[in-house]
Amino acid sequence: MRFSNINWKMKSLWFSLLLLVMLPSRSAWAQVDIGGEWSPRIYNDARDIGDLTGIPLNEAGRMRAETFSPEQVDLPENVCRPHAFDLGLRVAPDAMYISQDVDPLTRKIVAYHLHLTWSGDQTIWMDGRPEPPDYALSDWSGFATGKWEGDTLVYMTNHLNEGFLTRTGAPRSGKATVTTRINRFGNYLTITIIVNDPAYLTEPYIREASWVYAPKQVIPPFPCELPAEGSLVPAFTVPSNMPGKYPYLNDFAVEYGIPPEAALGGAETTYPEYIKKMKTMKTAPRTTTKHIGRSG
Amino acid sequence: MKMLDGHFRTKAARIVLIAAALLSPMFAAKLVAQTRSNAQAPATPRAAATADFTGYWVSVVTEDWRWRMTVPDKSDYVNVPLNAEGRRVADAWDLAKDQASADQCKGYGAPATMNIPGRLHIYWQDDNTLRIDADSGTQTRLLHFAGSAPQNEAPTWQGYSVATWGEPNEVIDQRVGGGGPVGQGGPEHPEQDLPNPPQASVTRGPRSSYLKAVTTHMRPGYLRKNGVPFSADATVEEYMVRFSDPYRNDNWLMVTTVVTDPQYLIEPFITHSHFKKIPENSGWDPTPCRADQPR
Repeated sequence: MRFSNINWKMKSLWFSLLLLVMLPSRSAWAQVDIGGEWSPRIYNDARDIGDLTGIPLNEAGRMRAETFSPEQVDLPENVCRPHAFDLGLRVAPDAMYISQDVDPLTRKIVAYHLHLTWSGDQTIWMDGRPEPPDYALSDWSGFATGKWEGDTLVYMTNHLNEGFLTRTGAPRSGKATVTTRINRFGNYLTITIIVNDPAYLTEPYIREASWVYAPKQVIPPFPCELPAEGSLVPAFTVPSNMPGKYPYLNDFAVEYGIPPEAALGGAETTYPEYIKKMKTMKTAPRTTTKHIGRSG
Repeated sequence: MKMLDGHFRTKAARIVLIAAALLSPMFAAKLVAQTRSNAQAPATPRAAATADFTGYWVSVVTEDWRWRMTVPDKSDYVNVPLNAEGRRVADAWDLAKDQASADQCKGYGAPATMNIPGRLHIYWQDDNTLRIDADSGTQTRLLHFAGSAPQNEAPTWQGYSVATWGEPNEVIDQRVGGGGPVGQGGPEHPEQDLPNPPQASVTRGPRSSYLKAVTTHMRPGYLRKNGVPFSADATVEEYMVRFSDPYRNDNWLMVTTVVTDPQYLIEPFITHSHFKKIPENSGWDPTPCRADQPR
């Protein structure tokens, strides 16, 4: 029997086998080593209550932000609540440790694990496993699957608990998906976080943060303990503001001398043209500049 | 016939496996050779580019809004790792003095250029030079892929930038097991000099898809428009990547900026900025340097 007489299924099988054996076990664009200890260097951002600048919030997102009270984080049930992982990567200056699971037979990376001091762990599955169904439980780290694009690790996270975009109450819904891109530049690690939230944003919200390689860093256990005297806010209360009753609405704008509308964010405010527009808008008289000299 | 098929299948499978086993090292060797050949191929930096940053870009200010979209108040140096001398200089900032002098470009120097809201036009000035025109302050940056910083030229606002694709002289070590020296002298003497090269390979970049630029020779200026200083001893490292977001398929340029300044900073100051690609120069709005304006 000649090879040409073999049925196509068998030919395909053999050809696939041949390719499989011939292909090197690692990509010619071998992935970059992102593992190890990373010390945070987050010099971007430092927000006051009422500062929603630069966030492409929609009306619903703005309303949720205005009902936020900073005392919410002092409730007993919230004191030790971790940051959702997308927030932890960005706003808390978190030491990070990255490790990987390698299949002992194929030597392929099955998963990365990111550990942040204040946000626990996030597993990034690299083995192409399907995401859980919509009704699966969400948590603070979500479900993440990743792949290498050249020398960038790109992963998408969903099934996240509802959380915040900032520590000052800008909301991020449980419907959001987060695309995260990890780049290693020598001894710097920059992570780009792209949040797409159909509930509260009009367009994806992009932020970055950087770390410096610190092989001798030791990350302590999650350091939070409820104080013996209890939390600052008694249990069974829910500090919040009713819509339209946000006491901080103008505080930030007054303090920084910007139009109140600008302080409420929105996609338009993120473009350079908005600087010209602000000159045509009303600004409240400045009564305080207490932010000056704040260490951040 | 079934027996024949079975016999054939077993025999054919064996042949395929043997062929694959024989060809696999050849394939790997070819791949290594190709990689090595690519690394050695004479190419201009423009031809060797691992990412295309050319075109028009607009900054999207989602972070540090209050420091970028406005001129911050004097002494607002929150988040900048200034030392005592840096704070003293920042506290002495005098806007009127800057306006009265010819120094209105102090806030538009290389450490700040990418953070100022505005548009960029990026293009190859020649095969070795990537040019970045910024409409804010009408500044031009030249990223030199060849040559080194001139020692005798006067410093400028944008300084002298040396650019590479990834880390310069990045070592790509692909030795396949064994772990012994690649050549007689180790990785510094790659194996291609040997008469019978082993299947190991140590080559040098470029392999990374990011652009690295290191800028020196700058006139002293401001990290922020409100007089937060950097000195003539400052060095700026920038790392640029391009990507598209999976939600809207917009193309983005992301820049990580690391400013090191032994005179005014206690440690490197790292910031980020990102730009969305736009189809043409709509909105291009060149401005003069203005000390009292955010752009």
